[in-house]
Amino acid sequence: MAYLLQQLLTESVHRHPDKPAVRARGRSLTYGELDLRSSQLARLLRDRGIERGDRVGLFFPKAVESVVAMLGVLKAGAVYVPLDPHAPARRVAAIAEDCGVRAVVTTAERLATLPPLELACVLLVSGEPRGAGGVTQIPQIPQIPQIPWSALETFPAAAPPESAIESDLAYILYTSGSTGQPKGVMLTHRNALTFVDWCAATFRVGPDDRLSNHAPLHFDLSVFDVYNTLAAGATVSLIHEEITVFPQRLAALMEDHGITVWYSVPSALVYLLLHGDLAARDLDRLRLILFAGEVFPMKYLRQLADLLPRAELYNLYGPTETNVCTYHRVDRWKLAGQNRLPIGRACANTEVVALDADGRPVPAGGTGELFVRGPSVTPGYWGDPEKSGRALVDDPRPPRRGDRLYRTGDLVTPDEHGEYLFLGRRDSQVKSRGYRIELGDVEAALYAHPAVAEAAVVAVPDDDVGSRLRAFVALRAGETVTAGALQAHCAGRVPRYMVPERIEVRTELPRTSTGKTDRTRLAADARLMEAA
Amino acid sequence: MLSMDRDARAAIREFVLDRLAPTSGRADIGDEDDLIDSGVIDSLGIFQLVAFLEERFGIAIGDEEITPENFGSVMAIERLVAARSR
Repeated sequence: MAYLLQQLLTESVHRHPDKPAVRARGRSLTYGELDLRSSQLARLLRDRGIERGDRVGLFFPKAVESVVAMLGVLKAGAVYVPLDPHAPARRVAAIAEDCGVRAVVTTAERLATLPPLELACVLLVSGEPRGAGGVTQIPQIPQIPQIPWSALETFPAAAPPESAIESDLAYILYTSGSTGQPKGVMLTHRNALTFVDWCAATFRVGPDDRLSNHAPLHFDLSVFDVYNTLAAGATVSLIHEEITVFPQRLAALMEDHGITVWYSVPSALVYLLLHGDLAARDLDRLRLILFAGEVFPMKYLRQLADLLPRAELYNLYGPTETNVCTYHRVDRWKLAGQNRLPIGRACANTEVVALDADGRPVPAGGTGELFVRGPSVTPGYWGDPEKSGRALVDDPRPPRRGDRLYRTGDLVTPDEHGEYLFLGRRDSQVKSRGYRIELGDVEAALYAHPAVAEAAVVAVPDDDVGSRLRAFVALRAGETVTAGALQAHCAGRVPRYMVPERIEVRTELPRTSTGKTDRTRLAADARLMEAA
Repeated sequence: MLSMDRDARAAIREFVLDRLAPTSGRADIGDEDDLIDSGVIDSLGIFQLVAFLEERFGIAIGDEEITPENFGSVMAIERLVAARSR
């Protein structure tokens, strides 16, 4: 039985070494090649002084090398940190510095955007198709050895001896933090394997399955795609970022690659549904569609279900801190009469419970905050015991054995069948295109502009993408700055999905009777702006 | 015809620079610079752009025309608009 993620590969390599494991950008890697290269990468890292528990940043657009790098880092006993290749340099730098990466796998173009870091080595993946970073010159950082990917061949084919245990960290995923500093969710091998084991039993992914990977690799949906593929000896198609812009290309890829299992945020499916001309595609092989990350608008879900009558549909729920913790199988017969899709019931080896403000379980029909217990729950946030302590609390229920519960911040109601319904957030976190966004994170970016005196960001609900961000800003006396300039400023600090699509500059922001910024009023104004 | 092309290109450039580029953090974009890999056009931006082109130039752009070939650069977009306006 696998107790480390990389061990999922062992049996698949043994059974079919020549079968493609990963496809991306017109290239593919067999199980044998994946195993060999990742072992060599682990050797290289060890050779360069990377030790158990060290963090290694993965900073390049999706390619077959992505999976080699993930496994190579794990085989070295180290921890990988996927860095968003489309995030602003400042944000990437903040993350790399926060977790103290000791090595980076990247391209020459991306390396040029990184700040000086104390690195033991840089492994260079060969160039990007077009100078995507706008930089073509290879940076010369004399102190840090830069090793070309081709050098992997010179390293021994056998991975270093396994020293990690299941409670060691496997990867860190950074998410939006309410104060403007992204927070690193630490995930152990056991955390991930608990999820993968549940998937294997529930979805029966087999060697003939072809999985897609739509989500970016720094997004936890990708954990499903990659590790369930490896465990089953299946094939995963990594869909590179550019294809996701073009819905008909995306639909063509689903057909051409014979995708059988699809997992994405609902907004990606809505996008395909509205613009991908799915009806013209032969998608009969698509047997399983999983979605998570946001609420799926019912009208679109019904359309999707009608369009793909053979596919089973599942609504999965869970924050990065727990990965998926509840699931609901869509019942096609009930869809017409349903106005809300349940997030469902707990996955195997996971307990979820809705608690009221006094820590008592809420009865059916009541409202409470959802708490999660079990081996899939994160040990906490990297380097932030305070935040970890607020998110991971002692189980208040008897017999109070000191068990930890993760508090999701999500308000839910249990129905009479024991399934949960999602109601909303108890804080100012929102979802847009499945991305989790703390409004405070966006406001912090706005406040960093010297002309900004006051800023408030609101989310306007939207069927196609979940919600759209609108910002209201009051400037300091005598300052002038355009909305476009403020957007550009934000784009230098937060990922694109967090940049408000519209910013309104006002002389002052409305206040409530207690003197706080009147967000309810601003939200109403923002909705009016939409209608105009 | 030439002056119309110049107007069209200016309008397209303006939209790309003022509306799309700011949220991608790219400031200077040449007519032939890539707009896709660089993230200037993403899955949300592309439909804002299509809506703009349809309105500004009175053309209809089908979903099947939303391809990297037609939207890869300001030049490519201009070619698409010119072909559809004829």
